[in-house]
Amino acid sequence: MLIKIDGKECGCKHGEFILEVAKRNGIEIPNLCHHEGLPGQGCCRVCIVEVEINGWRNIVTACVYPLERECEVFTNSPRVIKQRAMVLALLHSLAPGSSEVSELCEKYNVPSYRRFVKKNDTKCILCGLCAKACESLGTGAISTVNRGTGKAVTTPYGEPSYECVGCASCAKVCPTGAIMVEEGAGSRKIWGKKIPLLKCKKCGEPAGTYMELRRAAEKLGEGMPELCEACRKKEIAEKLASIYGY
Amino acid sequence: MNYTILVCCGTGCIASGSLSVVEALQNEINSQGANAEVLKQIKKTGCNGFCENGPIVKIMPGGISYYKVKPKDAKAIIAQLGDEPVEALLYRDKGKAVLTQKENPFYAPQVKVALRNIGEIDPCSLDDYLARGGYDALKKAINMPPNDIIAEVEASGLRGRGGAGFPTGRKWRTAAGYDNYPKYVVCNGDEGDPGAFMDRSILEGDPHTVLEGMAICALAIGANEGYLYIRDEYGLALKHVEKAICDAEAAGFLGSNIFGSGKGLNLSVVRGGGAFVCGESTALMASIEGRVGEPRAKYIRSVQRGLWNMPTVLNNVETLANIPVIINNGGKNFASLGTEKSAGTKVFALVGKVKRTGLVEVPMGCSLRHLIYDIGGGIIGGRPFKAVQTGGPSGGCIPADMLNLPVDFDTLTSYGAMMGSGGMIIMDDRSCMVEVARYYVNFLAGESCGKCTPCREGLRQMLAILTDICEGRGKEGDVELLEEISETVLDSSLCALGKSAPNPVITTIKYFRGEYDAHIKEKKCPAGVCTAITGFEIDAAKCTGCTLCKKSCPVSAISGTAKSAHEINKNICISCGACREACRFEAIKTVQKGGLANAD
Ligand SMILES: Cc1cc2nc3c(=O)[nH]c(=O)nc-3n(C[C@H](O)[C@H](O)[C@H](O)COP(=O)(O)O)c2cc1C
Ligand code: SF4
Ligand code: SF4
Ligand code: FES
Ligand code: FES
Repeated sequence: MLIKIDGKECGCKHGEFILEVAKRNGIEIPNLCHHEGLPGQGCCRVCIVEVEINGWRNIVTACVYPLERECEVFTNSPRVIKQRAMVLALLHSLAPGSSEVSELCEKYNVPSYRRFVKKNDTKCILCGLCAKACESLGTGAISTVNRGTGKAVTTPYGEPSYECVGCASCAKVCPTGAIMVEEGAGSRKIWGKKIPLLKCKKCGEPAGTYMELRRAAEKLGEGMPELCEACRKKEIAEKLASIYGY
Repeated sequence: MNYTILVCCGTGCIASGSLSVVEALQNEINSQGANAEVLKQIKKTGCNGFCENGPIVKIMPGGISYYKVKPKDAKAIIAQLGDEPVEALLYRDKGKAVLTQKENPFYAPQVKVALRNIGEIDPCSLDDYLARGGYDALKKAINMPPNDIIAEVEASGLRGRGGAGFPTGRKWRTAAGYDNYPKYVVCNGDEGDPGAFMDRSILEGDPHTVLEGMAICALAIGANEGYLYIRDEYGLALKHVEKAICDAEAAGFLGSNIFGSGKGLNLSVVRGGGAFVCGESTALMASIEGRVGEPRAKYIRSVQRGLWNMPTVLNNVETLANIPVIINNGGKNFASLGTEKSAGTKVFALVGKVKRTGLVEVPMGCSLRHLIYDIGGGIIGGRPFKAVQTGGPSGGCIPADMLNLPVDFDTLTSYGAMMGSGGMIIMDDRSCMVEVARYYVNFLAGESCGKCTPCREGLRQMLAILTDICEGRGKEGDVELLEEISETVLDSSLCALGKSAPNPVITTIKYFRGEYDAHIKEKKCPAGVCTAITGFEIDAAKCTGCTLCKKSCPVSAISGTAKSAHEINKNICISCGACREACRFEAIKTVQKGGLANAD
């Protein structure tokens, strides 16, 4: 199937999302809440584009809009520019501390709305990716709570979570670096919880938190790993090398 | 003679004591002794729609209706059966007593289709429903090819009554066109609009109609399973629906073998948690599946991939209640009511400053004036009508000079309001339109799922600005900024909640711009509602010294003796406006806080 993005002809598969096709064709669409491993959030609305089908133009979100018929996509039409700027301005007031959002505001010439009420220097844009990552790992230590303007991401009752294994997957997927992870000498602190780190038997670097490694081991039905990720890979490579003799 | 005494036992009348009226009537029947000539039977019915005058008692045959009935009235009612009516309990229209609903100005202009059985039958009795032709339509549909059922619904022109007005026949046809199974039929009984109760009243008062509508839909699209999503607070509706499902299954109208045809439909009830956004189709389905009730992008519609990703038809309660009528009398017949593009009738919840409030069903296309003045009896106290807010929290406000507009899907939408689920709030000159906008934005900001940026953050900023305006901190340019944010919220929100949330703001700006300007530039609220910038003063020339205001003031800010002019102490007054409401002589005027008199 062929579609047009900003005038450029792009090949795509039925059902593919606009964002993927654009990326493959070197067309940049800004996005914040999209993560390849956790698709379908579609909530920041930074990736909005205009789609024209049979003369009808609609604003859609590129990260979750599936291409099902021939159409033309506009990533910088006046309407997109205008609405995206407002979305970014709103995000900036929500997360004034986020450099990712500030940079996007600058890049897309977003005026500053002094009338807007700003939150205190926070970075979180409430995209929910962290909670989704945690849930998809089967941990469910954090979640989005409340509706409407009261929405927040938190551990149960805001207390250090019993469930949290300290894997920091949430922090890794967060588009704005909003989740604090403090790596200490023998422990990691995240969501207000301090979790001891195990050292790699080989190189002595931290291999992960004790709880995270135990959880992974239980899932795989193996014993506790003694090596860090890097050393484990190296060991496998060495084994293969000795088997195949190269 | 065989008398049936219909006692309204809808939620409203139960709240005003109808269950004790039933008990008192029964006791009277027992104690006044059996008379072989006069058989008396009591029936508890669903809501008659005129709850403010409840409990309502109706005597059949004849239809003499009594209002605000107390247990002590039972004696007279029973004693005078078939005799002179009990004069004191009749409805009075401009002083004249009215015998039946046919002569009552509230009921006379109504045309009941969706509400046809409510108030006439005991909702817990399958026999009552059958006696009024219940399940005839299903019996007919069982022998119709699915395509013919759908064609009939298409011919009726029926459009969804849950808000969006999507053509029901087209929805069914699309769902029928997919050949992946199982398919589902779902009834939307979430009814999250504050003040709306049409769906509750149907579920409570005529549950079998909804089940029959669902069964016909299931036959049309090839579904064997269905859900009724009903909000948890609707205790009576839940009870009646659950009983109706049991009874219908036992009678073979539902379950695995409908009318012995081998076709089946299993229905279950799901209790909704009560979030407004759960009424949105994708959020509702997420909620039924046991996930958080948040909407998803609808680029793939739920008729194709709905519940558990299978083809699903979701219809509103009132939409479904119309289906049996369409199958029985034919789509063409249904389409003869209403307008060309908005066929049939619509149930409205008429509330606010009208003399008669309640549930009313009228053919689409009737004018706002007809609803407000003929049925509603005009504005309380004869005050000027200012605006009507239609369509629920994200509807719009329509001003007085548009009273002649016909009420149908497309007209309302083209004026920035909407049909929504049929809420209709009437406002008089003492309603502040900026405050109205602020009120709805506040509601929606709290009830949005909070997932997408434009809706959550846009409404947050709009609420802050509107609050500033109402409290005298409005700035030059605020109105334009509100419009600018509104545009983005409308255009780029994820679901229809956000896509309609700015309506109250946009319409009040469009039709009442002057009121915004007065708040922002002159720091005054022309309607005298926004307490932060409003004060009250008594006009000594008009004051008769009746002392009503003094009695009504919650903080004792008013002084004065009987028959002499009263005075408000500005230092104590909290600007609640209770005195103004109490005064019968228009002697209390609004002034700017601080004491400057309003120009008007
Ligand atoms: C925020 C929101 C709330 C809604 N609430 C309801 C509701 O309470 N009841 C309802 O029937 N439809 C509600 N709807 C409309 C439904 O999404 C859907 O359009 C409707 O149930 C479809 O049935 P119909 O075609 O018979 O109207 C709501 C929509 C939105 C966006
Ligand atoms: S912490 Fe990061 S990932 Fe989590 S909701 Fe906030 S911005 Fe999204
Ligand atoms: S209610 Fe009106 S007339 Fe009566 S005392 Fe107060 S201001 Fe005067
Ligand atoms: S990246 Fe598409 S909505 Fe956030
Ligand atoms: S409950 Fe009786 S009239 Fe509404």
